[in-house]
Amino acid sequence: MAPEPTPLLSVKDLTVDFKKGRQVVQAVAGISFDVYEGETLGLVGESGCGKSTTGRAIVRIEEPTSGEVSVAGTALTGLRRNDLRRARTSIQMIFQDPVSSLNPRRRVKDIVAEPLDIWGTETGDQRVATVREMLEAVGLDPDVAGDRFPREFSGGQCQRISIARALVMKPKVLICDEMVSALDVSVQAQILNLVEDLKAKYGLTLVFIAHDLAVVKNVSDRVAVMYLGRLCEVAPSDDLYALPAHPYTQALLTAVVEPDPEKATAHVTLTGEPPSPINPPSGCRFRTRCPKAQEQCALEVPELREIAPRHQVACHFPTLRP
Amino acid sequence: MSTEQSTTDFPTTEELSGPLLTVKDLRTTFSTPRGDLTAVDGVSLELGRGETLGIVGESGSGKTVLSRSIMGLLPRSKTTQTGSILFEGTEIVGAEDAVLRDIWGAKIAMVFQDPMTSLNPVVRIQRQITESLRLHTSMDKAEAKATAISLLGQVGIPSPAERVRAYPFQLSGGMRQRVTIAIALACSPRLLLADEPTTGLDVTVQAQILDLLSSLQAERHMAVILVTHDLGVVATRTDRIAVMYAGHIVEMASTKRLFASMAMPYTQALLRSTPRISDPSHTRLTAIDGRPPDLINPPTGCAFAPRCTYATDQCRTEAPPLRTAPEDPTHLFACWNPLQTGHAGSVTTSKGEN
Repeated sequence: MAPEPTPLLSVKDLTVDFKKGRQVVQAVAGISFDVYEGETLGLVGESGCGKSTTGRAIVRIEEPTSGEVSVAGTALTGLRRNDLRRARTSIQMIFQDPVSSLNPRRRVKDIVAEPLDIWGTETGDQRVATVREMLEAVGLDPDVAGDRFPREFSGGQCQRISIARALVMKPKVLICDEMVSALDVSVQAQILNLVEDLKAKYGLTLVFIAHDLAVVKNVSDRVAVMYLGRLCEVAPSDDLYALPAHPYTQALLTAVVEPDPEKATAHVTLTGEPPSPINPPSGCRFRTRCPKAQEQCALEVPELREIAPRHQVACHFPTLRP
Repeated sequence: MSTEQSTTDFPTTEELSGPLLTVKDLRTTFSTPRGDLTAVDGVSLELGRGETLGIVGESGSGKTVLSRSIMGLLPRSKTTQTGSILFEGTEIVGAEDAVLRDIWGAKIAMVFQDPMTSLNPVVRIQRQITESLRLHTSMDKAEAKATAISLLGQVGIPSPAERVRAYPFQLSGGMRQRVTIAIALACSPRLLLADEPTTGLDVTVQAQILDLLSSLQAERHMAVILVTHDLGVVATRTDRIAVMYAGHIVEMASTKRLFASMAMPYTQALLRSTPRISDPSHTRLTAIDGRPPDLINPPTGCAFAPRCTYATDQCRTEAPPLRTAPEDPTHLFACWNPLQTGHAGSVTTSKGEN
């Protein structure tokens, strides 16, 4: 967990534009972050903030408009098609909807073995053994599950199959995009615990994208908060939730409902909704909803800067620690 | 439809006494190709005027089917319903369309989870709000329009006079949900059924919508049934909570009592598997092993027994009846081995190996 000098995954000044007619939506507007080996970085934000696009741009499912993504020193951006395919074996992705991300016509053992078949890395008995190992690792009985089809499994089990498929090439980095948000609480807890176990077992580095602040806190070592394509705040989980410095992080945290009737519901709810990314506000993108906004916020874009060790915030008037 | 009565009539004293809604031994069964599926299995509950009841459960627990049964919204074919649902003296189970038409929108209204699919995409929101006003009240077009604008204002939509001309796609998700709430409130219903009203919404918008619902409810003295999978949503917004599992109500108590001294292991397990922002990161969650039972072949005994850490042989053979807690007659639970009072609610978070 202790940060190493060289990050395993490094994102520099990443931007992703979507063109819609003559309009340009800047879904990701220049974000930079590092993820160190063995670390889980949580990426939270409301819908439309660009968190999923960031995840997809890292593996180049979505082509970044500019910026650089590198894994273990290799720049993914700029790789040619074949080199990119090869590089992607070390960086895998898990998606939100476990049922639609599995081929309905293939048996579970073949779904899990597909990456091995494509790369021809393992064949015959070894291939079978690896698939069994992966299914067992995600808590499925290979004898029962292997010959079945995805439709015979519940959402939670399908998510387990997706995890097995993602891990079969022994990747270094796993990008999880809202992987538990379609699941029931009891199943969500099973999958979150499983992710923690597998991370320890296989030494994985995770980017965990989700909108649920409690879920993100539970799995992450550090959390990055996004708003309208930009990073607002990055800090170790416990610090971020205890001492949020950015007004947006504070607003998000007060809006969370806790399963405890004793907790007061007096929230300083944000008024309104995020503005359109087609025409984002000048300066700080949050200023239109920010209770602390001043003239400077409209004029200058706040840069991400360190206000405490490993605690970065992009705000002209952050709440500093006492 | 000539017998239709104006909803603005002041309720008679006779109507005001007694519960607003009484559900007795409701059983809703769907026939499926695999066999009969009993989605709601012997549910009884009462709801007072102005009360907020939370119905909590995971997918497949029957919470949505229960709320749709109360509204009389289930398809008639392939659905069998027994038991009784009395709403202000009107029986809903087996009611004629004409009877339901007088109730829908006017007395019971519903807010659904997905505002995009519950709104008509090709109709301006003005007409979607005024539709029920024109049908159930004697308002003319201009009055209905004025009411629609005032409703949009009440649900917190900025510049309502212009927005009333908008189509649903021109509004954001949160705004659309506000519109569906405005539609539901148009005829001042006595009961609002909100089925996962904030599930697809962002946290900040969710807080806004929940606050809106509570303030509107207080203003109008309207009863609300809030159906959700999220214990956090009901914890601070309801008077009472019913926890459902496999078609049964397994525990029901006042919100305070439920969280302070829950008796049913399932309620506790549900609460413990929910991650909380007040816990330190990497807190091991207490997951519930396995998954809910197949309702076509429900297990004998307690439906939760296969996943329950306290299960005994009795649990696996004999279904526990819903009984009252000795200290509190309003606290009901269905369990042979209830949790000890006082310990049940104290959620220890340092449970895991991490």
